[in-house]
Amino acid sequence: MSSHNGFDSAMIETLGPELTVFVGLLLIMIVPNLGNGTFRIPGTSIRLPWLFGGTRFKAVASPRLPGLLAVLTMALALFQVVWYLLDATSADGQDIIAGGILIFKVNMFSRIFEAIFFAALLLAAIASLDRLPTGPQKSDDIDVLFNNRRQADFYILMLTSALGMSVVALAQDLFVLFVGLELASFSTYVLVAFHKESRAGSEGGAKYFIVGSVASAVGLYGLSMLYLWAGSLQFDVLATTWAEKGATSLSMMALGFVLVGFAFKISAAPFHFAAPDAYSGANSPVAGVLATASKAMGMLGLMRVLLIITVPEANADGSAVWIGLLGVLAAVTMTWGNIAALGSENPKRMLAYSSVAHAGYMLAALTAIGAWNWGLVDNAGDAMDVVVAALLFHMFVLVFFKLGAFLVLGVLEMEGGASRLSSLAGLGKREPLLAVAMFLFMISLAGVPPMAGFLSKLLVIMGIVEVATGTGSLSSIGDAHWVWWLALLMVINSAISMFYYLRIGVVMYFHEPEEGRRGPLASGASIRVAIALCAIGTVAFGLVGGELIDLCRDAAESLR
Amino acid sequence: MGGTSETISSTFIEYAIFIVLLPMLAFPIILFLGHIFNGNQTWIKSAKEGGLIALPIMVASFILSMLLITEFIGAGTGSHHIGNWLSFGWISEDGMTINEKVFGVGIYIDHVTVMLLFIASFLCMLINIFSIGYMNTDPVNDNRNHRFYAEFVLFCSGMLGMVLADSFLWLFIFWELMGLCSYLLIGFYYEKPSAAYAAKKAFLTTRVGDVFLVIGLVMLWNLFDSLDYAVVFNEDLIAQVDPGQLQLALGMMFIGAVGKSAQFPLHVWLPDAMEGPTPVSALIHAATMVNAGLYLVARMFPFFGAESMHGELVDLAFIIAAIGGITAVMAAAIAFVQDDLKKVLAYSTMSQLAYIFTGLGAALWLANTLDWHTDDKAHGIVVVAFGAALFHLFNHAMAKGMLFMASGSVIHEMHHAHHDMHHHDDHGDDHHDDHHDDHFDAQSMENMGGLASKMPITATAMLVGSASIMGLPLIGGFWSKEGIIANAWRVALEDPRFFLPAACVLIGAAMTGFYMSRMWLKTFAGKPKTEVAANVHEHTPWIPIPLVTLTFVSLSSVILAGMMFTHWAGEPNGGYAFFGEKGMLKGLIYEFEHVFVNPDAFFFVLTYVAIFIGAIVGPGLAMALYGGSLKDGEKAKPWMQPIINLSSRVNAKRGFDNSAWANSGLSNALKERLYFDKWYDAAMLKLVAGFANISAAFDRNVVDGTIKTIESTSQKISTQVRRLTTGSARDYIMMAALGVLVIYLLLEVMI
Repeated sequence: MSSHNGFDSAMIETLGPELTVFVGLLLIMIVPNLGNGTFRIPGTSIRLPWLFGGTRFKAVASPRLPGLLAVLTMALALFQVVWYLLDATSADGQDIIAGGILIFKVNMFSRIFEAIFFAALLLAAIASLDRLPTGPQKSDDIDVLFNNRRQADFYILMLTSALGMSVVALAQDLFVLFVGLELASFSTYVLVAFHKESRAGSEGGAKYFIVGSVASAVGLYGLSMLYLWAGSLQFDVLATTWAEKGATSLSMMALGFVLVGFAFKISAAPFHFAAPDAYSGANSPVAGVLATASKAMGMLGLMRVLLIITVPEANADGSAVWIGLLGVLAAVTMTWGNIAALGSENPKRMLAYSSVAHAGYMLAALTAIGAWNWGLVDNAGDAMDVVVAALLFHMFVLVFFKLGAFLVLGVLEMEGGASRLSSLAGLGKREPLLAVAMFLFMISLAGVPPMAGFLSKLLVIMGIVEVATGTGSLSSIGDAHWVWWLALLMVINSAISMFYYLRIGVVMYFHEPEEGRRGPLASGASIRVAIALCAIGTVAFGLVGGELIDLCRDAAESLR
Repeated sequence: MGGTSETISSTFIEYAIFIVLLPMLAFPIILFLGHIFNGNQTWIKSAKEGGLIALPIMVASFILSMLLITEFIGAGTGSHHIGNWLSFGWISEDGMTINEKVFGVGIYIDHVTVMLLFIASFLCMLINIFSIGYMNTDPVNDNRNHRFYAEFVLFCSGMLGMVLADSFLWLFIFWELMGLCSYLLIGFYYEKPSAAYAAKKAFLTTRVGDVFLVIGLVMLWNLFDSLDYAVVFNEDLIAQVDPGQLQLALGMMFIGAVGKSAQFPLHVWLPDAMEGPTPVSALIHAATMVNAGLYLVARMFPFFGAESMHGELVDLAFIIAAIGGITAVMAAAIAFVQDDLKKVLAYSTMSQLAYIFTGLGAALWLANTLDWHTDDKAHGIVVVAFGAALFHLFNHAMAKGMLFMASGSVIHEMHHAHHDMHHHDDHGDDHHDDHHDDHFDAQSMENMGGLASKMPITATAMLVGSASIMGLPLIGGFWSKEGIIANAWRVALEDPRFFLPAACVLIGAAMTGFYMSRMWLKTFAGKPKTEVAANVHEHTPWIPIPLVTLTFVSLSSVILAGMMFTHWAGEPNGGYAFFGEKGMLKGLIYEFEHVFVNPDAFFFVLTYVAIFIGAIVGPGLAMALYGGSLKDGEKAKPWMQPIINLSSRVNAKRGFDNSAWANSGLSNALKERLYFDKWYDAAMLKLVAGFANISAAFDRNVVDGTIKTIESTSQKISTQVRRLTTGSARDYIMMAALGVLVIYLLLEVMI
């Protein structure tokens, strides 16, 4: 294990992707403002070229520039992360130490999360290139919105959220993690409300902000209690303290509060209420980021807290202290999400509820990890790795089909809203390729082979069953750990979810288009490119997901 | 055959896959080009709308087939070769390979393959030539012939693939491919309701058989864990199999063959299949489809011939022969009363295929009971019996291909004559659909007569073809038909059950003589019955080429018979030469001895009875009823004129009024095809429709009802759940606070 103390060239190399995002952020702030402005030395009449303000140079005046810069930045960062993942030889990572405190740790586990974040943000940035304005509005508004300033703001916020997310991924200290979380969260609050002209946007953003602040406050309160209990917020220290002192009343309460903070991020019931409002108010690429990257960030925090700090085998039977709580949370979340999605007539709200259901599936997987040392399991470490890898794979491929689904709705939004199910009607005839892509995303969300969604769901369910039943040496189902029932519930929930996912297909192919919505949709090359990338990812990772699963497996090992 | 399984070290077998691949690849090409260039003059004139793309492909297939066949014959008997183009391993749980070749593509060649391969590739090529003349000169086909040629080549590739396949699985795949193509081609004039109905009927009727075929194949897989010929024909493996189960599996497969080869009781589709264009009829009835069922039964020979199955499979052999016998008589009887030229040929096909089934049944019975592995005499008997059945397949295919093409020629020229007479001053372009508008039936023999002088090539071809089907001495089918009859009786002497098929084929011989003569005489002899028939000319290019070719093939059939019998009766490794110890001359002598100087007195007499009734009784009766001289002043070619003169004399002298018979109940029943279609329709309506109603009700009320209840309930719950999302941030925070409380309580419980 190598470690860096202070700022040196090796650290630049180690933190390459993060620094890329940072430099990109600075460039977006500076470059669009370059102009022939001058600065007069006080008291003289000498004017020095100052390069800021004045008439902007032609080369940087294009309103498309910030978007392109952001796409380039994200692509470069993603490339670096993927390069690291493919190149990594050992599960050990590099430590970044500042002021004697371990702040960051760069390893497979953190990098794969960064890959998820950057991939989601990159796709969203590409999709946003020619569609910033959303919702039903007149064309002269578009001209207003297409000014340089507003464009730059949007992408600056995207990059800051990327930076915040990377900090969460790398953090080895709960406080650092919290700072990263808030940086990312605040960026997304603004992004949700970015389209301030529309009532739904600002309302959704405000609600998201209020509920999110409450959750953050509760989480921060939990952190302070943890600090009170352990005297530090370092993961190592917390883990050691937990092993020594065990679960006390104070630590458990702190844990519960911290959990609430993350549960909001992954939109687990009953902290999910703001999510449907936010998703339907935000423009589609941003909603897609919320449903994928932001959710993965919350899961990452949960995994750090639950799997590292509270060592899983805390109970007498080898399961974690929080297993019952998380089991209840998982069951309620997935069922609630699916049932609420059943009746949703707004496709974006439907996707929001579906993302709640997916949060439930992920929580179920986490619950299963809590039972990792269950007596029937031969090799506890392996069993845990299997489930963690499945979870990572699930979050990774979710980026493609969840975000892709939002992007298709985004194309419809450009035409004038996608808030009714009927706005999708006749898409099969109007734009066959788009409809096919949407159908792929839907059946992938539902978990139909050979889509990536099938593989990820299968891996998660198989992982849970493997943990619950061990190597299959049980004589009856009663002998298995109760987390087995979560797998069954997942299967039942998947069956229910079929209904609303496939209904989209029915509407697209068998319903007549709405009045005034005939013929091909508004053009938008970049969003279609993003959708195509999503569709390719959905199918490709379903057919040849082996490589990625291996990567996730390595990443899972590096967590321990 | 039997236990021999050497591999021919060869070159052409490497390319055998192209025999199948070339036509298969031509299918999309022709369809695609036809789609692009539809209506283009170059495409119509130079490429004949795909006909001249299909022809070189079929010629190439034929040449490759011939190279393969000569190579196989040169290498000796009983060889096969299996090439694996694709193979997968299948690893079992304990890490051992359980099945190395799950899916292989290969070529399997033995005598049966060679016979069918020649028939299929040769006739497909000739029918292609015929089609260019027939299809492209008929305005009703304009701008859609590319569809015909595309489906045609796909059909051919299906048959060739089925013949060359090295496993029952591939056989089945190509079998189904043919089923699909038959549906497409029979329904080529899909705008005609009768054609669409016929296509459906053919598809669904054969589907009944196919279901049983699949069941049989699954049973076979269950017994052998494989469907590869190399495995299932292995005598050691056959020895480990329960004969009862094997018989059941083969019986199921036989039902599939019954459907495909249009035998009783699944024969109803075949006459309706005449709705397709005439080249399609020739293709289905001579070259491909119906032969598939026979091929499948012939493929079962190794099971019957295996020593371990000695005497165990005789019941199935009897069933095969009995189905054949019944169909032979039934179809011939129905052919008596048909006035449609093509329908007579259709029933004739059914009847002749039945002969082959009877012959195969007898041969399989002999193979199953005689000790032919060791006894030379028994070996000879089995081989001759099997060879006779296969040789009849060959003769029938050649003759029937020719007959259909000749009938097509007649119909085509009738059309043209009719068209010229009624529309010759109408130069507009809108006479395309005159096929549908007027009621002149160009296929009815009632409208023909006296065509012998006007269509000499066609009439000659028809004459030779009819003679071959009848089994007139020294022509085509004669050499094989007597063998089938003799062997059916040979078995009947041992197994009394066989008296049924044996008697049927003997009676059938006379019936064949009658209906074939009736057809020829009604069409070509006598005075023209209509104006149109009087104005027919034979002038369409391309059509005569296959007719002349096949006439010579049928006439010289005895030489091929010599080759065949040498080959079949030869020692396993006898080698082949045209002359010499086991050469063709020997084979000819053997064949002649067998037919004319049979040492076994009973069979000698029987043979002559068969010849007599086939060549004298049937035609004589037909002449008495339908004979007549041509129009005054017209003369047929010298080889046909004596026949017409004879018929005219017999008719004058022995002619009698058959109106009593024509109006009898039996005649009407035959005209109604013995009511099979009506019975089937009624049975379908009562049984299937009734069952369908019951299951529809179950589906509506129970299945849908349950699902709809679940759906509406969950929708209701969903509405309630979503009501919690009030839209007010205050409520959200309250719910979150509630959640915090629950979490706190749960954690308290856990400590």
